[in-house]
Amino acid sequence: MSYNIKIQPGGTVCEDCTLEGDITIGGGTVIHPRVTIIAEGGPIIIAEYCIIEEYSTIIHKKSDKQENPPKPLFIGAHNVFEVGCKLESPCGHVGESNVFECKSFVGVDVKIGSGCVIGAACQLTAPQTLVDNTVIWGSEHHIREALEKQPSQLLQLDFLSKVMPNYHRLRKPNVHKRQPSRQSQESSPKP
Amino acid sequence: MAYLTQLDYVKYICSCGQLKPITSLYFCRHCLKIRCGFCICHEVDSHYCANCLENMPSSEARLKKNRCSSCFDCPSCFHTLSTRATLAQPRQPVDPAGGDTKVENKQPKKMYYLSCFNCRWTSRDVGIPDQPVASGGWPERANPFATRINQLLDYYKAIALQEKQEKLERERKKFSIRGKYITLTDKTGLTGAMARNIAGLPSNEAGSSSAIANFVASQASEEVEQLPDDIYTKEVNLKQITSMPQRLASPEWQPASVARLHPVAKLLSVKRSQRCRACDHNLTKPEYNPGSIKFKIELLAYYHVPEVKIISHEPVKPGEKTALLVKLTNPTGHEMQLRLLQPEDIPPVEDREEPRSIEKSLERSLNLEKDASACRAIERPPSYAASSVVATPVGALTLAQRDDAAEYDDDTQHDADHIILWRKSNKLALRLEVTTDASAADGAPASTAFAIEYSYRNTVPPSSTAAHHRDHTLYTTVLLDLGKVHA
Ligand SMILES: [Zn+2]
Ligand SMILES: [Zn+2]
Ligand SMILES: [Zn+2]
Ligand SMILES: [Zn+2]
Repeated sequence: MSYNIKIQPGGTVCEDCTLEGDITIGGGTVIHPRVTIIAEGGPIIIAEYCIIEEYSTIIHKKSDKQENPPKPLFIGAHNVFEVGCKLESPCGHVGESNVFECKSFVGVDVKIGSGCVIGAACQLTAPQTLVDNTVIWGSEHHIREALEKQPSQLLQLDFLSKVMPNYHRLRKPNVHKRQPSRQSQESSPKP
Repeated sequence: MAYLTQLDYVKYICSCGQLKPITSLYFCRHCLKIRCGFCICHEVDSHYCANCLENMPSSEARLKKNRCSSCFDCPSCFHTLSTRATLAQPRQPVDPAGGDTKVENKQPKKMYYLSCFNCRWTSRDVGIPDQPVASGGWPERANPFATRINQLLDYYKAIALQEKQEKLERERKKFSIRGKYITLTDKTGLTGAMARNIAGLPSNEAGSSSAIANFVASQASEEVEQLPDDIYTKEVNLKQITSMPQRLASPEWQPASVARLHPVAKLLSVKRSQRCRACDHNLTKPEYNPGSIKFKIELLAYYHVPEVKIISHEPVKPGEKTALLVKLTNPTGHEMQLRLLQPEDIPPVEDREEPRSIEKSLERSLNLEKDASACRAIERPPSYAASSVVATPVGALTLAQRDDAAEYDDDTQHDADHIILWRKSNKLALRLEVTTDASAADGAPASTAFAIEYSYRNTVPPSSTAAHHRDHTLYTTVLLDLGKVHA
């Protein structure tokens, strides 16, 4: 597998994680140690200001009806992947401001809008589409619609990007020019 | 730990006939009997909120409808809501270098809202405005049936009062028929009602009877509102509709739409104390402070009755002898003499109805008002079927007192005995032989029972009146679960 990891300026990526394939990590995103991101079916693009916590796994799965060149898996801004969550997806688009709580699992054929919360230990395996602001929680997978998006974690991101370098070896940002992003930049850039 | 995570392999027979593991039994030091949750009085000691640990007397709790005034549960998932703070003016973050120009006139103010960490419900979801203070001040919704409920309450209070008066009247008549005793009211020729009349107060009875007379019972009506026309055609959005538990959590409003959910005031919890029904002594009494998990009185069987644990046993086969290893522990601070018996060999409890002293009978007659039938415990012979019989060794065993320091030295004494396997401070392992009935069916539950006769030293300070025995011989029956019969 080819390794083509692009880390944009301001991205905090710990060295102790498994990154395989063509992966782009946006500025302001924090990736904790022991994270696994595997782009086997095509590139993975992670936008700005995401938090990916320990033992989370994001896999761009290979599928039979793969297009050539393979379509990327795009993960929007401000997503939070909590400890031990797993996201498997063939290709497509994960919106922004979603929260994948601890030990949650999102299988292939699940389309996720924006502002969704997949509760702790919730397993989404059936093909489905989560409309914006869907909240799923509990062992019985109750579904609720939130009124507004989940509050952003800018304070936490700020703290992590300051503290992380003191305790972990980091991968250096290796892209110096901002790549043209498909998403419009709606969050004000940090000074 | 085994008692929490595993099945109850060893059960004791409570004095009421129930079978319970030792951890859910009590031991009354005054009756010298094992008691269980079924045959004791449970009393509410105090009400407290499990979230903020505020405690209050029962009268205040009743006034607050047994709910905390400052804590709320999530109306969506019933988890406790947390208060979160935000800054009131959600302005663009001002650049610290050049943003001095318009900062001073508008200080951002802290505002609070309620949020659920489980399902992420917030008080903003249903349009409750943010509050300037962290606790309290949340808008309360008025109960639409408040007047009717008050009417009902008044009515039932009046009925209760009337019944109480009628009962008093009956009681008074009974005494006057007997004619032997002079009650206080007879002596003064004064009843409560007369006293009220003399004092010119409105008659108590009149007030209550008017409440009864003016009461209108609710009428069932055949005509109900028609269903909306689009009830069968409108698409249902389950995310907008509340579930039954959500509706029933607030019975006053029973919101049908999630937009009408309102934080539910948290229900109070109670601290309980337990009392022996036979002698009225406390068996457990918790400390008053809700934050404390300690007890002032804690008469648990685990601290007074020898504990039996199964170490291992061979598979039980019908008509055969099986080896069974059990461990006995003496939890008390005194040396214990033990003897194993067959359950049917326990000597029957002789009814020690001693000629009661005058004092006692007087006390009894004074206690008559407390309805004796209500506090008498139901006792029945225990029902259990033991498929196997334990060969009980003759002769007594001695168990040393509990010694917490002995935990640290591990010189197990091996008594070369065919019954005692080993002995270590207050513990003792026994090798027993179990004979199973030849008719036991394959797969049937295998169990055996034996009784323990044990010496018990009572440490209750002797009361002045009764002759006090310090040393007692007590009996208890244990039932051992030996899995299944293997034919
Ligand atoms: Zn009992
Ligand atoms: Zn409270
Ligand atoms: Zn909730
Ligand atoms: Zn008692």
